[in-house]
Amino acid sequence: MNLVKTILLFLIAGPVYAADLAKATFERDILPVLDDYCYYCHDDGKKKGDLSLEIFKDEKDIRHNYKISEMVFKKVLAGDMPPKGRKKRPSKEEQKLVADWIRYSLDDFYANAPPDPGRVTVRRLNRSEYNNVIRDLMRVDFNPAKDFPPDDSGYGFDNIGDVLSVSTLLLEKYLSAAEKIAGQAVAVPPRGKSLPPARLTEFQKQYFKYPIPADNRRRIAEDFAQAFMRRAYRREVTGDEIKSVLVLAKQAVDDGGSFEEGVRLAVQAVLISPHFLFRWELDGAPGNPRAVRSLNEFELASRLSFFLWSSQPDDQLLKHAYKGQLRKNLGSEVGRMLKDARAQSFVENFAGQWLELRNLDVYQPDKKLFPTFTPALRNDMRQETELLFAHIMRGNRSVLELLSADYSFLNERLATHYGIGDVQGEKFRSVSLRGTPRSGILGHASILTITSDPNRTSLVKRGKYVLDNILGTPPPAPPPDAPPLSESGEITGTLREQFVKHRQDPTCASCHKVMDPIGFAFENYDAIGRYRTKDNGILIDASGKLETGEPFKNATDLRRILLNQKREYFARCITEKMLTYALGRGLEYYDKRTIDGIVARLKKNDYRFNELVQGVVTSLPFDMKRGEAGE
Amino acid sequence: MSKSLQIPRRTFLRGLGTAIALPTLEAMQPSSAAAAENTKFPTRMAFIYIPNGVVQQNWNVTGTGKEFRFSHTLEPLSKHREDLLIFSGLAHHKARANGDGAGDHARANATFLTGCQARKTSGADIKLGVSVDQVAAKQLGEKTRLPSLELSSSGVRLSGRCDSGYSCAYQYNLAWKNETTPMPPESNPKAVFDRLFAGGSKKDVDENKQRRARYRKSILDFALEDARRLEKKLGHTDKQKLGEYLDSIREVEKSIEFASRSDVGLPAGYSAPSGKPRDFGQHVRLMGDMMALAFQTDSTRVATFLLAHDGDNRSYPHLGVRQGHHSISHHRNAKDKLAALTKINRYHCTLLAHFLDRLKAIREGEGTLLDHSMVVYGAAIGDGNRHTHHDLPVLLAGKGNGAIRTGRHIHYPTNTPMANLFLNMLDIMGTPVERLGDSTGRLKALA
Repeated sequence: MNLVKTILLFLIAGPVYAADLAKATFERDILPVLDDYCYYCHDDGKKKGDLSLEIFKDEKDIRHNYKISEMVFKKVLAGDMPPKGRKKRPSKEEQKLVADWIRYSLDDFYANAPPDPGRVTVRRLNRSEYNNVIRDLMRVDFNPAKDFPPDDSGYGFDNIGDVLSVSTLLLEKYLSAAEKIAGQAVAVPPRGKSLPPARLTEFQKQYFKYPIPADNRRRIAEDFAQAFMRRAYRREVTGDEIKSVLVLAKQAVDDGGSFEEGVRLAVQAVLISPHFLFRWELDGAPGNPRAVRSLNEFELASRLSFFLWSSQPDDQLLKHAYKGQLRKNLGSEVGRMLKDARAQSFVENFAGQWLELRNLDVYQPDKKLFPTFTPALRNDMRQETELLFAHIMRGNRSVLELLSADYSFLNERLATHYGIGDVQGEKFRSVSLRGTPRSGILGHASILTITSDPNRTSLVKRGKYVLDNILGTPPPAPPPDAPPLSESGEITGTLREQFVKHRQDPTCASCHKVMDPIGFAFENYDAIGRYRTKDNGILIDASGKLETGEPFKNATDLRRILLNQKREYFARCITEKMLTYALGRGLEYYDKRTIDGIVARLKKNDYRFNELVQGVVTSLPFDMKRGEAGE
Repeated sequence: MSKSLQIPRRTFLRGLGTAIALPTLEAMQPSSAAAAENTKFPTRMAFIYIPNGVVQQNWNVTGTGKEFRFSHTLEPLSKHREDLLIFSGLAHHKARANGDGAGDHARANATFLTGCQARKTSGADIKLGVSVDQVAAKQLGEKTRLPSLELSSSGVRLSGRCDSGYSCAYQYNLAWKNETTPMPPESNPKAVFDRLFAGGSKKDVDENKQRRARYRKSILDFALEDARRLEKKLGHTDKQKLGEYLDSIREVEKSIEFASRSDVGLPAGYSAPSGKPRDFGQHVRLMGDMMALAFQTDSTRVATFLLAHDGDNRSYPHLGVRQGHHSISHHRNAKDKLAALTKINRYHCTLLAHFLDRLKAIREGEGTLLDHSMVVYGAAIGDGNRHTHHDLPVLLAGKGNGAIRTGRHIHYPTNTPMANLFLNMLDIMGTPVERLGDSTGRLKALA
């Protein structure tokens, strides 16, 4: 174990340390440690937890199996493995050597990895996308997905291909939704008569010229099917596809049904086709994980529209795609899309999930303690944050204003909640916050409320929120066997006294010393976001220090630190969140270049919102895709 | 029969159209399948999950065998004493970290019916295992219109991340069809009702319904054809996603065929729920009623109900509990929190008691529906404060068609896999397997 000593020596000496890890070899220095402590459970024979470390035959394998290596790194570093109970455990030095070496090897691998757009698992329309698509495609608006089972989310968003599954229950709902939708969108004439013009729906007016002549119906049906299916499938459709839908229409007519009943059935079929319910980006060469290709422009149009509108591409996007002109017009199209009313879905779905505003819906503060918290106020809270986000988005303002805005959007109820006079009525309007203890979203009642318990504030939740969603540096999860703070006694005293106890326990301290001080900064806002100077009659002390050393007196002070010293963290955080949402997959090591690039672009351009969106839609992973191995 | 349903009967009748004739009590007998088997009533199986563990000292009963004494928490179930089998000593080892770090709530929820370790991922590569209910559903699915029924009271999901790096799929689904596909639950009792009685009015049944079923079949065939053509062009994960779609299409086709062969009437005493009640207790009771209704009409024999997902943080103001459930479950032994948590634990038992009342009120031959059922109620966290996964609060109600001797408390050795119980239950359902999750063998002394 001479090497260990050498490494320790260099650790103290500093910079040469990395160079020496480079000299360490897998065979000589790592393999023996794995052999001594890991193979007992994780060899090819036992494969405990479905993991054999014998797959690591040399350094190449460490890199090749980077996901497993990352997991091994985390567990070894945290001391989770080998498990606490095992008698034969590695020394601290051995543990550190393995962890550091894997880290070094992986970082080296990532830094020199070739560009890779990654691969997005096919995405089924989620509930809000389904609603929007039906609204735009069928021109009926009745929230048909309301009763669909909730979509599972991953990486903080509910548009992640990997976790959007299809169940029998959901398919039943698709089937009856399709019937209802077609029933509403296609009016049917009384038996043996023709359809009175007054009953024509928007959908029918879009596709048909009434009265429909009796002699040319097949042709009319074909034209309809083609035009409709192009929109529904968001691409060009084949003659065979059109035919197979018309077979259904004919079935209804042969049954004695009207032309319209045929159309209904055709529409129903299209609405449950996998081409409609999923967004396919087919591999050029299925089974070849190395095949990288640009998206065709139809696929790009869908990526854009589902990203910014949570809906299908409109005719203009499709028109560009037909002509192969979408990439050329990308900049202006994105600008147009952000100004369109449909971008409200981006506010609700992206900001609503990133900032966790959706949680307001399930949040129930104690009614006795907070009698002013009504459903209407809850709604106002959400709206305030959405309005600020939309204002920055539509005005192409700096994303930093999310934290710094000295104005907000309030109606009378919310203004009263904040103790701000002079705002009357239900309507929201821009209100200056100068001279008040609020600015930016971290002063919004929405966020202050969802990070509280039903009856009091929570230091931990507020601290964690800032780390997760503002700084993008989530705290490590608590150890699974975190002991209760005190096995015997009860915890009493002020929050700050409790906090001190929190820090005395070394197991808790490592994370809580990061979270809790941030939480303290917001103690001047109660569990539904009202400003206060006292808690239980005791004067509030909101001062603290970030783990990185910056001291602050209160929330205003903390915001200043976030805006000055930590702005790049915030820029990186919002970039990562938006890229995840745009791609519909978790981010990988090879996305780091993309993120670095977008953050640099933001920095150079005053952090303007459009730069962020443009950076995302012109990035490698948004524009291209990789293939996937077969089974 | 309990009268918990809120809608006046007349309203309900109006909703359905007056032509419907409510069947008499005899018609309530489970239909086709039971008639075919003719020997006895089918055995049903339900699982109900409670979140955040319990205050164990207040849950645990004293004394074993028939001589046990009810604990404070379980006391609301005392009128069902003779129908209960209370377990001590069961554990879910796979809900422990086992090197995966934090995330006990997600893991507990995921492991409860699978006995498997959830792969720690926020999205890609979700992997768990088939759940006990789905093992039975797969084999019994042919006999009923719905192979299984999944229910939950959590309709709205929290946004953002779920527990400590686990995908939300683990925390909101109990039933897993296979290791990658969860069965999402229905949270709206009205939707459950509509699903069970998909009919509409009787007029509709005769003429339109048949045509509708025929059209549905054509549409599904069309979709199936589309999907099959697609399948050839896909890589591994996309093919898996499409596979879920294909399976679902086939199952819906089957269910349509089933419905066209048999017509299930609405038993007396039920009315259609109008929607999702705001009150939690009312909601849970109504979901219980829907399960009872599904069993009674033999629409399914397998049901799971997530009373609330693990980690749920709702407060219970009507019990005087103002803090969130999850928050107080980390009570650090503070007396007031222990008391509050106990109140919640006990309250949940009253909700279970309501469900058992329902099952018991339904006569089937010489016995009751409860006699022919097995209802497992419990959690995969023992002590919510410390996130332990042994000495789980678990009990079973119902005699499983005579296979289970109830009215007892059995104490198994600590760390006996809960999955062992599932093996026994699958035997009783007539759908035996040799292993499920981390099972090591069957439990003794159930009969």
